Amino acid sequence: MAYVSMGEAHRRITEYLNRFCDAVSYQDSSMLCRLLSFSSNSPSLLSLADALNVFQDASSLIRQSDKFSEYGEILAHLFRSLQSYRVGNLVEAYLAFEKFANAFVQEFRNWESAWALEALYVVCYEVRILAEKADKELTSNGKSPEKLKAAGSLLMKVFGVLAGKGPKRVGALYVTCQLFKTYFKLGTVNLCRSVIRSIETARIFDFEEFPRRDKVTYMYYTGRLEVFNENFPAADTKLSYALQHCNPKRERNIRMILKYLIPVKLSLGVIPKDELLQKYNLHEYMNVVQALRKGDLRLLRHALQEHEDRFLRSGVYLVLEKLELQVYQRLMKKIYIIQKLSDPARAHQLKLEVIAKALRWLEIDMDLDEVECIMTILIYKNLVKGYLAHKSKVVVLSKQDPFPKLNGKPVGS
Amino acid sequence: MNQGGGNTQTVPPLDPNSIENRYGVNGSQVQISPYQYSTGSDGASWTTHKVDNQVVQNGNYSSSNYYHPQPTVATVPATGNVQETPNTASFSSSSTSGTANTSQDYSGYTPYQTSSDPPQNYSNTGYSSYYSGYQQQQPSQSSYPQPVGAYQNTGAPYQPISSFQNPGSYAGTPSYSGTYYNPADYQTTGGYQTTNYSNQTAGGYQNTNYSNQTPTTNQGNYTSNPYQNYTHDTTNSHSSTVAATTTPVHYQQNYQQWPDYYSQTEVPCAPGTEKLPAPSAVSQSFPVPGVTNEMPASNGQPVPSYAQPWRQETNLSQPPSQQPAAAVSASNDAYWMHQTQNQQAHYPVPPQNHYQSPLETKPLHKTPFQGHQRTTYPQEMNSQSSVHQAPLGYRQPTQTTPSVDTQRVSKVQIPTNPRIASNLPSGYTKMDKGSSAAGAIKTPAYVSVSMPKPKSHATAVPEPGTLPKSLCGFVERAFARCKDDKENASCQAALKKVIADARDDGTLHTRDWDTEPLSTVLNTDVTNTESSSTLISSLQNKSPTKRPKSRWEPLVEKPFVKAAPAFSSGVKFGGWNQQNQNNKKSFESFQKADAVTDSKPTYSWQNSAKKSFQRPVKRQRFSGGASNAIDDEASSDSDKDLTPSAMSFATSAEETKRRDSRSKRFEKVQGHSRRNEIPRPMNPNVGNLHSRRGTALRPGEDFDENGCRSVEDIDWNALTVKGTCQEIEKRYFRLTSAPDPSAVRPEDVLEKALLMVQDSQKNYLYKCDQLKSIRQDLTVQRIHNHLTVKVYETHARLALEAGDLPEYNQCLSQLKILYGEGIEGCSLEFAAYSLLYITLHSNNNRELLSSMSRLSKEAKKDEAVRHALSVRAAVTSGNYVMFFRLYKTAPNMNSFLMDLYVEKMRYKAVTVMSRSCRPTIPVSYLAYVLGFTDDMEVCSEWLKAHGASLIADSNGDMLLDTKASTTSLFMPEPEDAVAHGDKNLDVNDFFTRTS
Repeated sequence: MAYVSMGEAHRRITEYLNRFCDAVSYQDSSMLCRLLSFSSNSPSLLSLADALNVFQDASSLIRQSDKFSEYGEILAHLFRSLQSYRVGNLVEAYLAFEKFANAFVQEFRNWESAWALEALYVVCYEVRILAEKADKELTSNGKSPEKLKAAGSLLMKVFGVLAGKGPKRVGALYVTCQLFKTYFKLGTVNLCRSVIRSIETARIFDFEEFPRRDKVTYMYYTGRLEVFNENFPAADTKLSYALQHCNPKRERNIRMILKYLIPVKLSLGVIPKDELLQKYNLHEYMNVVQALRKGDLRLLRHALQEHEDRFLRSGVYLVLEKLELQVYQRLMKKIYIIQKLSDPARAHQLKLEVIAKALRWLEIDMDLDEVECIMTILIYKNLVKGYLAHKSKVVVLSKQDPFPKLNGKPVGS
Repeated sequence: MNQGGGNTQTVPPLDPNSIENRYGVNGSQVQISPYQYSTGSDGASWTTHKVDNQVVQNGNYSSSNYYHPQPTVATVPATGNVQETPNTASFSSSSTSGTANTSQDYSGYTPYQTSSDPPQNYSNTGYSSYYSGYQQQQPSQSSYPQPVGAYQNTGAPYQPISSFQNPGSYAGTPSYSGTYYNPADYQTTGGYQTTNYSNQTAGGYQNTNYSNQTPTTNQGNYTSNPYQNYTHDTTNSHSSTVAATTTPVHYQQNYQQWPDYYSQTEVPCAPGTEKLPAPSAVSQSFPVPGVTNEMPASNGQPVPSYAQPWRQETNLSQPPSQQPAAAVSASNDAYWMHQTQNQQAHYPVPPQNHYQSPLETKPLHKTPFQGHQRTTYPQEMNSQSSVHQAPLGYRQPTQTTPSVDTQRVSKVQIPTNPRIASNLPSGYTKMDKGSSAAGAIKTPAYVSVSMPKPKSHATAVPEPGTLPKSLCGFVERAFARCKDDKENASCQAALKKVIADARDDGTLHTRDWDTEPLSTVLNTDVTNTESSSTLISSLQNKSPTKRPKSRWEPLVEKPFVKAAPAFSSGVKFGGWNQQNQNNKKSFESFQKADAVTDSKPTYSWQNSAKKSFQRPVKRQRFSGGASNAIDDEASSDSDKDLTPSAMSFATSAEETKRRDSRSKRFEKVQGHSRRNEIPRPMNPNVGNLHSRRGTALRPGEDFDENGCRSVEDIDWNALTVKGTCQEIEKRYFRLTSAPDPSAVRPEDVLEKALLMVQDSQKNYLYKCDQLKSIRQDLTVQRIHNHLTVKVYETHARLALEAGDLPEYNQCLSQLKILYGEGIEGCSLEFAAYSLLYITLHSNNNRELLSSMSRLSKEAKKDEAVRHALSVRAAVTSGNYVMFFRLYKTAPNMNSFLMDLYVEKMRYKAVTVMSRSCRPTIPVSYLAYVLGFTDDMEVCSEWLKAHGASLIADSNGDMLLDTKASTTSLFMPEPEDAVAHGDKNLDVNDFFTRTS
């Protein structure tokens, strides 16, 4: 930290105060954003933080002028937070910032127009980021991280300010997205439900009127929620929307969406091209897709095992595991095609023995009972048309389209 | 002594002087406005600030007056307070020195409340401007309620005070601004004061004690800064003073307290004392003979009501006090010693001064007050209980005895003043007057109030030259003990004789009058003190009531409760009512005072005051709680049985263990206090009850000083129940109160109990009941070890066996915590159960994913966990063949969890098969695949129950007609469905089997 003289510190603080008040009085949202954006680590904010650490009694400066003291509470907390932030005391910084945010939101509530929405976004964002950092600090100190939770309730309060009618409603979706991020991080996604309901049931406000950025984020998170619920058609809709509307230059965002969209599409019987997987660096899905194409059950199981941790964390493991039935279907189809080549007349009769033999070649050991079980399930789920003759241990395939395609419908429907 | 060195404004020699000086300072500062008020309210006698102070003293005002005296306003309120009594204490604190007050306020908020007057004083003075601390003070009446809250929080608020943020504000406030509140002083004093206050409050200021304590209240005012204790003491001392002899003791005690205060304040005191010599006359002006005389007279009046309580206190305090004065002082600190000495010195003079010249009397008064204060300390300790009683008496006393109290109070205040004192010498005199008045006894206080004027004069014209201040103090003390004219007269005669003898001996100036026993002069009050002691006990009983409010703070009351359980409830209420009444009175008085005085700033208070009045009781409780809190720390609320010992003086054999633990706790606490405060004599005193209380309270003081001790800082280990029950079998009963150690089994017994349950042949309900009681005992004793894990594991297994999922879930969630603490158990076994449970019963994908991702590699190699994972795979894929194979090979108790899913799995399987297979499936195959263990009969029954259509083939084998069954299958309502999912758990069955 460079040495800062008292006079210089005083000058910097006064300058900041002036800029803050000017930004508010001229309703200059972008300037306000720059003044509040901690995480940008902008040189001007850092030098202000240094100045604050030198000039300890900034609050008296605020009190000196009516212009400043009007926002005295906001600024005092902001300064304290910035000071703590600068010296690396993130928990303190968060606590002060939370107070600042409360004061700011209170002030925002009094502003009739929504000019400061951008600034409010910055505040919401910083609250969440600071809380995450503070939680890291708490965890490293062996304390229980709780700041993100506090940030969640603060954001919920902000949501309440915006969610009503009027011009400020445009900002509601941004806060919702911040809430999603918070809840997903906390693992309390069930809390998302109330927010979603409030967004989706509001008829007064058309969803399309929200900013695109927020719509994409919103669709991404709600799509993920549908993946948890294994509601694949809905997940497909939402994630596809996100994919279509997101900025094509943001490859990282596209990859995040595809991470969920691909398993969903696979479950619906849509198989992506390898180029897509390569382009967005989704190699963990390569073998899965390959197994589906080939009917290679062993490959699927290996792929799942290989990336088990990753799939479990992202929450697609169970989805991918369910692809097994499609792999079986593919395998049966292959057997059927091979039988057709040798003996077209009896090709529609699949002996369980043959299936077991094929599985053995894949190094999967199953007895006939188990194979029969699998076959009944395939038939039951409508992946195979036909019936199983228990007595003779033979699957009798329908002569018409014995292996129906999913065509965008989920298995079992 | 600091006296000499300290502030030496005028005359260094006498401690009283220092006190006076302090007073004076305070007075000077405060006096201005208060005086006006006081004058108005008090009337002629009050005309002088001193007068007001005295009056206050008589009431409780004295103290407040003293402080305020200078600020007449304060005094005025004080007077009102005096009438009301309780208020005085608060007044004093508020009026005396902003700083002191603040600190005091914190500690003693509750007390303050009681002494609504003090708040008024504050308001008058303009304390309102002060910070939170001040605000509390100012409002004291009204604010008190707030303080209460603060008190509960005590730790936090107090600290702030100590920190003197308030002081800063004080400074800001016009009236107090620079003079009164040196932040530093405040802080130091604050800490002390707070503690004292708490004690005082606890003591019973709030409660009726005031009446007895009236004096104390005055002291309280004084103490309020540091001297809450004093106030109590004063009350006690007053009573004692009435008795004559007791006062000295009180004084000593008070002194001790003072020392604490004055580690910081001492210096000021010293100056004050120095000043006293010259001013001493002034201060003694209290003496304004009329006052002193009146005091006695007033004492006589009040005595009856007060007498008992006070006497009790006094008795208690007195015995130790007088001689102790030296000892105590030593223990407490040099401060006390000094003070006492000075007081004594004053006493000798005072008698003369009082009677002869007001100025002189003031010093005397001061000294007496100091003495009172000192004495009061012990009393305070005891007094808390007594205090409660006091309230009723208080009112009466306040009027009559106030002077004495006031004097004491003034002394108390003095400490705070000292800082200020340097600024205002004249104030000292006032202070002294007030103190003297207080010393004079409550009733006298009024008289003494009149005295105050003389004091002020005295300050102007210090006569004393010839007599040592300590002598003046001695005389004052002696008169303070006098309850009525008779006593006064006899006392006067005796004093004359003593002084004449001393002069003849040539020891007049060499004798240590501070330590001179008053018994030589006063014979009267022994009986009174005795009676008072009984009152005290009753008060003690009352005190427990306070407890409830501060949940986390240790309850001083507890001990009391133990001592006299019967008393507690009834007494408490009575005490409260009394307090309320007192409050009302005080409030009224305030209003009057305000009206008279026209104090502008103060008025704001009235409103606040009113509020505070209403609240005071609570606050008092709180304050009591706060004071007790320290003790409480040691003793958790949870176990009265355990905790009481800490406070209780009783030495029942049962409690010896507890006592040990408690004493340890105290040691810790004391350690803290020592660090913070300079010397603590208390330990040496351990011998008697008073000393014990003192120790108990001191911790509380420390508490205050430290600011707050948050709940997290409480050593819960020290509060944990240690069971003594040796019964192996115990039925479960959900606790509705704190656990009784005699009904809780220690660990070794619990181990036997667990074995007994495991070997028991009785049914699950019995075992569940037993295990729950074991779990409860473990929880209550906070045992977290292998035994705990074993108990929960056993219970979880039994619950699984019985299909009792709710109970199983409880156990599992506890087990997760225990495993998380690193206690080895069968964690993998239960990880498997957990997986199975989620898979089969919660049907929550997210939960399943997260629990799967938490499994370590080692865990995945475990047989049970692998089995559970396989089951999960079988279930998610619907592989019934795999499921029932796993069902048959399940390790541990996995099959019990699977049991609960078998029905669903079978139904699904039959549904799938009937849909997929044509034309038929032999039932024998179904029985084999669906885990019916080749029992065809059961299988066909099951199939029929689920709507399957069965046919017999040519061989007589049963076949499932799949096509017909496809549409006819249904899931029947389970016949034996009961709440627990098990017919064995049927309620009727339970009664028949367990009865």
